[in-house]
Amino acid sequence: MSEKLGKREDASSAVTFNSAMGIASSDVSAMKKVDGPGSLTLSGVDHTARPTWKLNETVEFYRDVLGLPLVHAISARGWGPPGHHDFLHFFFDAGKDATIAFFYYIGSEQPERYIPEEHHFYFATHTAWAVDTEEELIAWKEALTERGVKVSPYTKHEILESIYFLDPNGYPVEITRRLRETEKIDEVDAMLTLKAAMEVEREARDEGQLLADIDTVWRRKAAYVRAYQESDT
Amino acid sequence: MIAVFVLDVPEFRPMVETTRDVEGVKISGPTKGYWTIEAPTQLSFSRKAMKMKPAVWYGIFTGGLDGEIADWGRDEVRLVGTNKPL
Repeated sequence: MSEKLGKREDASSAVTFNSAMGIASSDVSAMKKVDGPGSLTLSGVDHTARPTWKLNETVEFYRDVLGLPLVHAISARGWGPPGHHDFLHFFFDAGKDATIAFFYYIGSEQPERYIPEEHHFYFATHTAWAVDTEEELIAWKEALTERGVKVSPYTKHEILESIYFLDPNGYPVEITRRLRETEKIDEVDAMLTLKAAMEVEREARDEGQLLADIDTVWRRKAAYVRAYQESDT
Repeated sequence: MIAVFVLDVPEFRPMVETTRDVEGVKISGPTKGYWTIEAPTQLSFSRKAMKMKPAVWYGIFTGGLDGEIADWGRDEVRLVGTNKPL
């Protein structure tokens, strides 16, 4: 460990939020890659966070309708970078030490580009919260429906069974249970799918095209599965 | 020749079970985690026969497909052979 936490620069003199955070997008191709699975691991979710412009409704929904305890709240007068709003940052218990968090930026109007859209691109940004059993998933769906939340049908997709609903902000929320544990062959299959997909995507991009369809991926995958079956590994 | 590769897991195993007795279809495996379903000119799968949920159905050929989708619907899919490169 080469860096001491107490000696790091503080963020208060930064001009932009990203510079305050000391972060920037970088070229992945210039980064060093680990050789196989890395020695660094993560230990599950601490919290997810999204902005809200509906303070009352958000607290009432997560605390009083879903019934998740409000376990922590930060209130702050800005945050260093110029133009940063005063804010509240509050956390609801989501089990196993994870929390669902929100930022409420005081005195801000919701920018138009942050208004939720009814589109799968928008829906893709969501968190799936876990339950352990089918009985619990059913209990959630029935309780939420009874409390007036419009809940999706049960959806089984390979290793998960889920229900979906929207919070008052229009953010999608998923509650899911594992139908089975993943095995080694799931990992191999994922590797082969992504190997095929990354390759055909790069080929398309090199020709100035978008990847045409999933069939293209499935065909390349067939070649890789066949090679894998015939290989010694 | 059509070849469909099927990961040997519960979600996709019905693809093997429902085509096992179809005339002309040859099934081999599972070899290193994949079944191979082969057919000379065409091959169909029925979602209802497989009792497959839609969210899995739409990813039915995720194991790999050497063939072309001729008809694609919510309940039936029909494959034909193809000369397209893999």
